[in-house]
Amino acid sequence: MDLALQLLVNGIINGSHYALLGVGFGLIFGPTKITHFAFGPIFAVAAYVCWAAATKLGMPLAAAALVGIAASAAAGVLSYLWLYRPFERQGSSHLVVLIASLGLFITLENAIGIVFGTDTKVIADLSPDIFLWGPVVVTSIQLWQVAALALIAGLLAAFLRGSRHGKAIMAMTDNGEMAQIIGIDTVRVSILAFAAGSAVAAVPAVLILFKEGATPHMGFVAVFMAFVAVVVGGIGSFRGAIIGGYAVGIVENIGMWEIPTEWQSTIAFVVLFLILLFRPAGLFGRALR
Amino acid sequence: MERLTLLAAAVAVAFAGPAVAQEPPKDPPVIKIGAIFAMSGQASWYGTVMSQGMRLAVDEINAKGGVDGIKLEAVIEDHKGAGGAEGVAAINRLMSIHGVKAVMTSFTGPTLGIAPIADQNNIFLINGGGVGVKMIGASKYIVHNRSLASDLALGALQVAQSMGVRKMGQLHWKNDVGDNIVATVDPVWKKAGGSVVATEAVPQGATNMDTQVAKVRAANPDFIGMWMFTPEVGLALKRVREFGMKQPMIGVEFTANDAQIAGATAEGFLYLNDYFKASDDQPWSKQFAAAYEKRWGQAPEFYAANYYEGVYVIAELAGRARKKGGDYLNGERLKAALYENPRVDSVYGGQMTFQANGVAQKRVGLFKVEGGKGVFQKFVEVK
Repeated sequence: MDLALQLLVNGIINGSHYALLGVGFGLIFGPTKITHFAFGPIFAVAAYVCWAAATKLGMPLAAAALVGIAASAAAGVLSYLWLYRPFERQGSSHLVVLIASLGLFITLENAIGIVFGTDTKVIADLSPDIFLWGPVVVTSIQLWQVAALALIAGLLAAFLRGSRHGKAIMAMTDNGEMAQIIGIDTVRVSILAFAAGSAVAAVPAVLILFKEGATPHMGFVAVFMAFVAVVVGGIGSFRGAIIGGYAVGIVENIGMWEIPTEWQSTIAFVVLFLILLFRPAGLFGRALR
Repeated sequence: MERLTLLAAAVAVAFAGPAVAQEPPKDPPVIKIGAIFAMSGQASWYGTVMSQGMRLAVDEINAKGGVDGIKLEAVIEDHKGAGGAEGVAAINRLMSIHGVKAVMTSFTGPTLGIAPIADQNNIFLINGGGVGVKMIGASKYIVHNRSLASDLALGALQVAQSMGVRKMGQLHWKNDVGDNIVATVDPVWKKAGGSVVATEAVPQGATNMDTQVAKVRAANPDFIGMWMFTPEVGLALKRVREFGMKQPMIGVEFTANDAQIAGATAEGFLYLNDYFKASDDQPWSKQFAAAYEKRWGQAPEFYAANYYEGVYVIAELAGRARKKGGDYLNGERLKAALYENPRVDSVYGGQMTFQANGVAQKRVGLFKVEGGKGVFQKFVEVK
């Protein structure tokens, strides 16, 4: 039972991480319909810039984290303006944009390795507080992972429901063509979506830097789990992305209670296949449409 | 007259024999040494280090005149740390574009992929990095100047036995290397009276292993075997200690990369490995370490040492084979040259002896992490 409790807590922590990734990915995919695989290395950019700001420039961690988040947002916007927007103008198919995105993924990932080196970057002497709650162990960074989701989800909900730009994102998510017809500047909203989505994803990236360190390839798992969270939760639903993230996180941990851990990396795929098979619109996709 | 004829015939035979054996060597304009490393992808750290060791050795040998005046050239291909398909593509490029006949290989998957091609094309292979036991004998022409992982793990069990512990928990890479270690150590440990209370698999490249660590913790082992490699070792050490576990941990690798990741949580970690130490009583190792640090700005890892040493092995064998003339630069001739005298100079100090199975026999070192660095404790003769 002690193990089950620990696995449940691990699942909630991992789920919070996946949920934030899903929200960030969904913020971009929902309104723009661009399958932005370069989301992965842009996620990594946040961690690397934060690392450089903290270790090379000597900035305090909080300030370095903000610089990392800003860099990720800027990289996201540039990826839209320099890569996706020209394809949009040409009326290229989704497949062409998807392939371009994969190309950008590889280019950015290799560029990070060349610029920063391939060894794991860590913030030295960063020792998280460790809390023993009965049989359960958590660290302060893991608590931050959970808190970050709560904070960002709250702010995002207020932004999407209460601000003009937020409503424009929701309108484009619901129906891009209709949004354009009623006079929404969809290019501007797309820029905003790339900035916001990349910034949201930058937060878990920075926390992963603090927890495990940054590697050039950290974005691969990130974009994959973000994609799974969005598909499981329902494309176009931010609530769905959060619940999808938690579903994957909890299942891949609790599922290992009696199953050997060698099956763990299979679990996310199994969840994805089952959802695609029995509920293709995801858990919340249909309801919101 | 008859005696004269016999004498003349004997003289003719005496001269004819050496004339055949000493057919002039068919020298290439340059001896190209191929390499198949993980130059990109998640394991590119290895490729960087290995290629640095290789390049340094090539340049050193060339500065000394090459192999009997023939210069060496390093040709490096990328297997991306992936499986056999990338390795096959790489060796095909090395053969068809560059015409190499000696290849330095790394990683178990790609090596197993290229082994049959090496056999078909008479290519000499030397592995200084891969640790999978399946590589032994994978090709007629493969040799290893790297202690294999299962041997190191058996050495780790000897150390554990000497500590008097009985319940083993294991964290292992979920790939052929990790699976082979588990398959090797489990029966040995049980036969020695121990028990295995947890065996948890971590995918190579995983950044999150909290589930696996939680399960090992719940099993409450006396010690934990870390059957994985960088960077997962560093991450595992960190997470095990953060989970509040105090048990001793014994593994088969600890690099500077792991030290960076694990920080203070690595203190006390025991591991066995090929032992490279630059010291005053080992002039070659000292010279190598100084040259490597001067050129690359970092102290050499043993991976760098192995591939540096591997180039010297190939050069030595090419020189030996060349003395016998003919078309000497191929797997058959280089392997034969090695087993004429399987003792070869080692950058680790002294000489290493290549066993009949192709694996160089070196004593391995037991290290303990102190102050973030592996401190040599003693040599272990793996049984």
